[in-house]
Amino acid sequence: MTEYARLLVERCIDPQPGWQVLVATTTEARPLAQELSRLLAERGAYALARIAFGGAFPVDLDWIEAAPPELAPTLAPLERHVLDEIDGSIFVLAPEPEPRRLDDAAVRAFRTHVTTYRDRGRSGTIPSVRCDFPCPAYAERAGLTLEEFADVFYEACLRDWDEERRLMEPVRERLDAAREVRIVGEETDLRLSLEGRTALVDDGHLNVPGGEVFTSPVEDSLEGRILLDVPSHSTDGLVERIRLRFERGEVVAASAETGEPALLRAIATDEGARRAGEFGVGCNHGLTRPLRNVLFDEKMAGTVHLALGAGFPQLGGRNESALHWDVIKDLRGGGELHLDGVVVQRDGEWLP
Amino acid sequence: MAAVTDDPRPRELATLLVDRSLDVQPGWQVSVRATPLARPLVTEIARAIARRGAYFLPRTHWGSERFRVDLDWAAEAPLELLAELPPIEQHAIATEDARLTIRAPEDVHAGSGLAPERRALLQRAMEPAGRRARSLGVRWAVAEYPTEAAAAEAGMTLPEFEDFVYGACLLDWDAEERRMRRIKERFDDAREVRIVGAGTDLTLSIEGREGIVSSGLRNLPDGEVFYSPVEDSAEGVIAYTEFPAVYLGHDVEDARLVFREGRVVEASASAGEDFLRQVLQTDEGASRLGELGLGCNPRITRFTRNVLFDEKIDGTVHLAVGGSYTYAGGKNESAVHWDMVKDLRPGGELHADGELVQRDGRWLI
Repeated sequence: MTEYARLLVERCIDPQPGWQVLVATTTEARPLAQELSRLLAERGAYALARIAFGGAFPVDLDWIEAAPPELAPTLAPLERHVLDEIDGSIFVLAPEPEPRRLDDAAVRAFRTHVTTYRDRGRSGTIPSVRCDFPCPAYAERAGLTLEEFADVFYEACLRDWDEERRLMEPVRERLDAAREVRIVGEETDLRLSLEGRTALVDDGHLNVPGGEVFTSPVEDSLEGRILLDVPSHSTDGLVERIRLRFERGEVVAASAETGEPALLRAIATDEGARRAGEFGVGCNHGLTRPLRNVLFDEKMAGTVHLALGAGFPQLGGRNESALHWDVIKDLRGGGELHLDGVVVQRDGEWLP
Repeated sequence: MAAVTDDPRPRELATLLVDRSLDVQPGWQVSVRATPLARPLVTEIARAIARRGAYFLPRTHWGSERFRVDLDWAAEAPLELLAELPPIEQHAIATEDARLTIRAPEDVHAGSGLAPERRALLQRAMEPAGRRARSLGVRWAVAEYPTEAAAAEAGMTLPEFEDFVYGACLLDWDAEERRMRRIKERFDDAREVRIVGAGTDLTLSIEGREGIVSSGLRNLPDGEVFYSPVEDSAEGVIAYTEFPAVYLGHDVEDARLVFREGRVVEASASAGEDFLRQVLQTDEGASRLGELGLGCNPRITRFTRNVLFDEKIDGTVHLAVGGSYTYAGGKNESAVHWDMVKDLRPGGELHADGELVQRDGRWLI
């Protein structure tokens, strides 16, 4: 865990003396939060701890649920000041075992808060990392004991990230050079354009674990259908086997075998929630099976993912939304990835 | 961890804090410091603040409610960083509309392991927050939430301690206020107060100072009438032999302070003397009195090693060395505010301008 904390502070944030670094987490991640405080102190930086109960971000769900509807989605001016002034931020997600059910308005307010919290990190203005802590809730979701889960977790997170970067660089070059992506597989044939867009490698700077190459697709370019067969937790519950049909970039049909209401709520968040803000390719070989945790599953080597909602302006993305929800397609069982008409990956393996 | 509790008392306490103590107004920004143990109370507070249309700024921590920084951080950070709160925190201190501190210790000695120089720097960094609170530039309150650690410290089981805490907090504060107002009126008329008791004969002036009746506004539990004594007036000696003087997780036994012209000129103790002297030397104001308080809570009769309660024990007085309350006319500035409690029930006396007004802890007025 100390090694993990060191990675977050030293590689992801690299704080300079006098920096004010937000450490946002929950009571479930206490040992890590305390270690992060110590390491920031060692580097001569301030640690601003924001500890929530159970929720993922420093957003108080009790307050959101009870606040007047016009107030609930707004951030206190003092919190906005915090977000404007910090020099770096570390978001450690660690939910409680009992997931909390929120009504639609509360979910929308929560998403607005989260988007605001992550805004400066997402746009690359300040170093910011979003990661997890191996807590019982995640282990249970993955169907593992906490000990087993912690092993998988640290295996995926504590990698030689400079070496990983070298391995992912060719993937980035291919995506950068490509105009059109086609994803083919079970109940899947989807095309999207990357023209004019820049791809980025996450080598453990933006997320821990890192291990993906991603970009924002051209907003109105998605055409076709896709079955996203890796389960995905949205803010309000598990969704399995999502089927989406895109026309001119917009979701025109959506269903799921489990959690369809959560899917429909998510894409109804706002205008941008029906479009994809991200296309990503998983490259982390430390991850071989889904843990029912998006942050990890989207990095699995042999998978691709789309995110419904907000895109990345610094990569050319223009889609705006309070939603950014990654949904994942496993290509290892008969899937293909085509770039400009050439098959580059089959069954999740890169072709020479 | 979703602790299902049917106990209505956290909600009652939350209502009292948000509606009476802080009187939260729409659009306010209210910070709430607490350990995770206080969750049932904090949850109710968050809801009560939301219902009033105000912002809730949760400041959950694992350390001491006295400091606005993380103790793990404070133990390692460079000294120059300790001396000043992060700019973001300074801005919050100057801007927040209300500040609520919940004492819910996991460890009643949290923070006591901090090196003295680090502690002193942190206290200095906190001084702007203290100044704004003591001048009522911000609406504030301190409350207790019962925990195992505090119960053990008080020598009670948790259920006993819960009864004790809520019993002392959930009073009819309007009635208490009327009762305490009579005591305040008697002392407001007086120029000089004399405290006599075991090893104690101390005189101080409250001339021109008005008493403050504390009836569920800034402390819960509450129940005291207090003054900012005239800064250079204390003469004589006071010996805190009945109870230890407890501060920042440290115990000082049999603290004995001798005052001349308002200043401590002699300080001794049978245990913790070094700590006592260090604190008195924190700054210029730390060796002068910032408060004279008269404990008036009828539900608090026993010492529990928790100053929030002990200073309210009916039949006790307390004197604080350090910063005084400017809203009570006080002028003493210090990063320290250490309340030490003197039990007057065993043979003590209180005199106002030469008239005996309390004997053995019982009012004669």
